[in-house]
Amino acid sequence: MFHRSAARLIATAAIAAGAAAYGPAWSADPDKVLHLEFYVAETGFDPAKVQDYYSFVVNEGIFDSLLTYDYLARPAKLVPRAAEALPTVSDQARTYVFKVRKGIYFADDPAFKGRRRELTAEDFVYSIKRFKDPANHAPYESFVDGVAGLDELKKEAEKTGKFNYDRKVDGLQALDRYTLQIKLKETDYTFAYVMGLPNFGAVAREVIEAYGDDSNAHPVGSGPYLLREWVRSNKIVLEANPGYRGFVWDFQPGADSGDREIVAAMKGKKMPQIGRVEISVIEEQQAAWLAFQNGELDVLHLREQFAPIAIPRDKVNPQLAAAGVRLNRITDPDLNYTYFNATDPDFGGFAKEKIALRRAIFMSFDNAEYLRVIRKGQAMEAQYPIPPGVVGYDATYRTSIPYDPELANKLLDYFGYKRGGDGYRTWPDGRPLAWRYSSTPSSRDREIDELWQKSVERIGIRIQIDKNKFPEELKQERACQLLSRTASWIADYPDGDDFMQLLYGPNSRQNNNACFQLAEWDRIYERTKTLSPDSVERNQLYRQLWRMAEVNGVWKLHDTRYRNMLVQPQVIGYKKHPILLAEYMYYDLDNSRRRK
Amino acid sequence: MTAYIVRRIWQMIPTMLGVVVLVFILFNWVGGDPAYVLAGKISSAEQIANIRRQLGVDQPYYVQLWIFIKQVLTGNFGASWSTNEAVSHILATRLGPSLTVLVPLLILSTLISIGLALAVAYVRASLTDRLVMISCTVGLSISILVYIIVFQYVFAYKLGWFPVQGWGDSFWQNLVVYASLPIIIGLVVSIAPDLRLFRTFVLDEINQDYVRTARAKGLSENRIMWVHVLRNASIPIITHVMAQLPGLLIGAFLIERFFSIPGIGREVILAVERSDFPVIKAITVYVAVATMVFNLLADLMYKAVDPRVQLK
Repeated sequence: MFHRSAARLIATAAIAAGAAAYGPAWSADPDKVLHLEFYVAETGFDPAKVQDYYSFVVNEGIFDSLLTYDYLARPAKLVPRAAEALPTVSDQARTYVFKVRKGIYFADDPAFKGRRRELTAEDFVYSIKRFKDPANHAPYESFVDGVAGLDELKKEAEKTGKFNYDRKVDGLQALDRYTLQIKLKETDYTFAYVMGLPNFGAVAREVIEAYGDDSNAHPVGSGPYLLREWVRSNKIVLEANPGYRGFVWDFQPGADSGDREIVAAMKGKKMPQIGRVEISVIEEQQAAWLAFQNGELDVLHLREQFAPIAIPRDKVNPQLAAAGVRLNRITDPDLNYTYFNATDPDFGGFAKEKIALRRAIFMSFDNAEYLRVIRKGQAMEAQYPIPPGVVGYDATYRTSIPYDPELANKLLDYFGYKRGGDGYRTWPDGRPLAWRYSSTPSSRDREIDELWQKSVERIGIRIQIDKNKFPEELKQERACQLLSRTASWIADYPDGDDFMQLLYGPNSRQNNNACFQLAEWDRIYERTKTLSPDSVERNQLYRQLWRMAEVNGVWKLHDTRYRNMLVQPQVIGYKKHPILLAEYMYYDLDNSRRRK
Repeated sequence: MTAYIVRRIWQMIPTMLGVVVLVFILFNWVGGDPAYVLAGKISSAEQIANIRRQLGVDQPYYVQLWIFIKQVLTGNFGASWSTNEAVSHILATRLGPSLTVLVPLLILSTLISIGLALAVAYVRASLTDRLVMISCTVGLSISILVYIIVFQYVFAYKLGWFPVQGWGDSFWQNLVVYASLPIIIGLVVSIAPDLRLFRTFVLDEINQDYVRTARAKGLSENRIMWVHVLRNASIPIITHVMAQLPGLLIGAFLIERFFSIPGIGREVILAVERSDFPVIKAITVYVAVATMVFNLLADLMYKAVDPRVQLK
């Protein structure tokens, strides 16, 4: 009995001494509890298996990716996270070499059998390979399509039924314990951004193998937070990882007003400061809005429906302002547009009368009304397919498809789309003309349907609205069988290529939902892929590409949304980032400022 | 009695088969192909085919239907397509919060409605009766959504009597703190129709000869109403209450969403939004089974309440 107790005492002392020796750099305060809300339920926390924004917000706090983004810099700027520095890029952006920082450890987990487990380059090799394992059906698999040798490994797995993680792959190698080399099949200047996505955070093979199919519920990373509690679709509790290495807050102020104030409040602090993050899934905006006003939430993503009450004339209402609530607004890196299927036998093709018809339909739509009615003023009209804050954005570009129903009518008259006795136009050969527009049964889509109906009736075109569930729309779209719908795209990384590739011919039946294929367009786009993102030539070519797409009447751009974040006075150093999701690791709480 | 129960259980088999076929047809007709959503923003035809293969939705319909039938027989519906969580775990963890709200709600609603029905039926055609009936009609005409929005705003936000939303870890905290306002809203919504219905059941009995006989014997009005009238009015009341019981298993969609209660109702909405067929299948089958079982129980209770009832 005595021996057992003594042994236990010695073991406890050894663990304590060990912990002291590791010297955790973090200084998170368990009394600093941050309350956040999710509008949509998360799906899980295995980085390879999830694709939703809300799961990413959690994963980014738990897992270390090689790169991340500077908290303050705008446009968003990549900085190292688990890597020592930005990658060495060579061979015309076909080879990327990352040095993994030494001394990063995974959070403790029984899968490690009591050993302290260091993060190494092999962990990134394993984590990236998982995206090609057919068993994971990884939604972000396409992001590593360019890595040499991975496709062959996948094909072998499809034949044998087992993915061989031990098989060496030319394009993905750990050159030594801390050096990761990635070779791509083709030049890709944007690949570094992929390594900044939260999906590409490192997981440990032992953990994934230990939990098998339940890996979504057992996220074990080396990041600043760990998952303490998870009531699925309801509540997520993160706690500061006691073994986390920590970092000192040291970001430079940018041009944005308020940056200097943030720097003054945060500079030199050891991060993370917040000891516990409690996230509630609140699907109904009224509940979230009232909870925020009650002080039950520290930060609120304000939805459009409450914007007129909370931020009339884009300023926090006097009652909230008096309570110290601040508004932090960014332009989301997203784009909403309506497209025509360029391969449709009636509306598609590049004959002049078809192009005129598509452009006339686009010209009948009033974006100003759309912004007012649908977005409640919480969006800006898009002129260019690359939104603000994304590399390649051109603020000077003005669309060649303005709202002009008069001109649209003249165009249709000129190309022989005659009005019949009922006031509706026919095809030049006399067939009845009806535009098939698809949307989902949601209330938002119903409002957009009505706007489109009103628009095309101005120019005498009959609309036929097809209602489908979203998966069915995608299915038809991937088969190039959907004529038109209003679609959205949000940037995965802040580079214009993420948007321009949406019109690249070979991406038809994937994410080129207009199935637009024009040899000249594709040739120029391929040229842009060989150019550095900061080159002037690439921006000029993007401008040329978009003008070409507009001339052909493929897309009607609508808007880029604002993201309005309401922030309680106790939140210190908050600034919404357009790409980074787990900002909670970069700001602080002052409980003394909480409203009573 | 045993023969009756066995016969009823036998009758459940073709009904269950009908439910299975109907759910299967409906999902495949309007449910959409989940592979296109699960495949992610940028996915090739090959990736989509791989997911369809893994989900089994590439199989011929008769094979998929047979798999569904086997799942019903074994009670194992596999895992959610969108989160990979075992369906059995989903049901086990979400049922508790739903029942925490709905069981007290059903009990209170039934008891209050019966009490009020007896009271207003006793003073039928009086001003009180008319005022109560008008209030019920007005109450019935207002959507539950209005009650939720107004009550949440007034009682939770303005007056601060309840939390706006949330759910805790302890049963008592959930029942007393978080479920109180949802239960009150549920009562306001359910008492009006129940009271009107139960009042008609009581009025049917109150004019019967046995009531007059009881009065002639000198029984107290309380005894006449609470024992004799209530006992005879209880068969339609039992039918009504038992018909509501399967509803406990599907939760209260709107209340759970507005108050962030992690119940089955919220899960059903999520499953439909995500085309998560395993979850939809399991919940539909359990509700169908529960409906049949509660119907059987209702029939057995008729016999217990009124020995004149013959089970055939």
